[in-house]
Amino acid sequence: MPKNSKVRVLLGTRKGTYVVESDAKRRKWKVSSYAHDGNDVFHVVADPRHPGSFYAAVNNGFWGPEVQKTVNWGKTWKEVATPLTPLRKSRPNPMDQPEGAPPAPKPVLNLWHIEPGHMEQPDVVYLGAEPHLLFRSDDLGTSWEPVDSINHYPGREKWSPGGGGANLHSIIVDPRSPNRLYVGMSSVGTFRSEDGGKNWSPVNRGVEAPFQPDRFPEIGQCVHHVAIDAADPDTLYRQDHGGIYVTRNRMDRWTRIGRPLGDDFGFCVASPRADPGRAYFVPLTSSGGMPRTTMVDGHFQVREWNDETRKWRKLLAPSAFPGHYGVHREGIACDDLDPAGIYVGTTTGHLFVSPDAGKSWLLVPYAFPSIHSVGLSNPES
Amino acid sequence: MPEIHLDSMLRRFGPPGSTRVDADTVEQLLDELERQYPGLRFKIRDETGALRRYVRVFVDGEDVSGTTGVATSLSGVRSVDILHSIAGG
Repeated sequence: MPKNSKVRVLLGTRKGTYVVESDAKRRKWKVSSYAHDGNDVFHVVADPRHPGSFYAAVNNGFWGPEVQKTVNWGKTWKEVATPLTPLRKSRPNPMDQPEGAPPAPKPVLNLWHIEPGHMEQPDVVYLGAEPHLLFRSDDLGTSWEPVDSINHYPGREKWSPGGGGANLHSIIVDPRSPNRLYVGMSSVGTFRSEDGGKNWSPVNRGVEAPFQPDRFPEIGQCVHHVAIDAADPDTLYRQDHGGIYVTRNRMDRWTRIGRPLGDDFGFCVASPRADPGRAYFVPLTSSGGMPRTTMVDGHFQVREWNDETRKWRKLLAPSAFPGHYGVHREGIACDDLDPAGIYVGTTTGHLFVSPDAGKSWLLVPYAFPSIHSVGLSNPES
Repeated sequence: MPEIHLDSMLRRFGPPGSTRVDADTVEQLLDELERQYPGLRFKIRDETGALRRYVRVFVDGEDVSGTTGVATSLSGVRSVDILHSIAGG
């Protein structure tokens, strides 16, 4: 069988899933498939351990969430198991409950993020859901088990939702070890496990929560998204409600790097495999304390952080793509090629591509629905 | 035994036309429908047993979704319609 040579961009949108493909030059793009018509698709991810396998977190307004999977590059999809709330299986009549009984359970409301497991665990998949739930599958999504150590974390009854909900939206597996995992949850913060998810610790030291009475609490930061540096997995980058941060010690301590930008509010972050020490962010304006959630100064812009020089760089001229674009937390991704491709999907349904690590940019000529997530299926090397 | 009608959105998961189910309550009716048509599981109710947000259950033409809900008795009932409300507009 010939090796797959195509670069595929996987889009989760307000109205379905798109696969958009090109060759390794990444200059000409075409939509190769469309699925889940009318559904809110929060995340679509390729499983690099199984070429051609993609997972989609589909959230149907009428009949709830579904995990959908394809094994043929998006040509056909089918529903696989969908995780169920692990808090309680039945719903007793509230009138029959004694005083002080635990509150009625909440169903899984939305699926937010699906993450293939470590290369050494080729059948493991993780899934983050709302309200603040983590699941693990050991059979490629055929069944799911709740990760009780995070789902029953002491004090979680006090966790509150962020503006987008009580979502567990970031799941990161350290490429050096399947035992080191990180999760990020809105209005809660980041947690790390060193034993494959049996135990977790909050790792938010140094991250400000400007909306809390204690501005540097152990838990309660509103992290929006997290990315790991593939070349140095001790380094991770974080976009919070309260700013942009980096850690160089596996989240033991975070340092704010976004202050020179003025506005360092935003939702998304990505780090390319080909350029160690680089991370890409899309700051959104938050003037006056009330985030407007469109790009700063009325034009499309991506900011590059260089962790070696500790400097920021704008990747576009203001005149390139004027407009008020928004971008969601999964709205930026990088491919694994050299030079790195950078992909940004906006709430206005535009898909921007840089095939050369930000030197040049093109707009894919297609009017997509509002884009929630951008994922990559890389060519086989 | 009431006659059950599902709207077109639900018929793709359940019976293609009307059907009859022996049940004393709406909850028993849904349990039996889901047993016969596993694709309906979690489409009408979530995993806690609650009716989903936009589902409306009409018992002899009366919407019981926001009142007696799944506990509604089906004694002497002739028809049950399970529909989706308009989620827009």
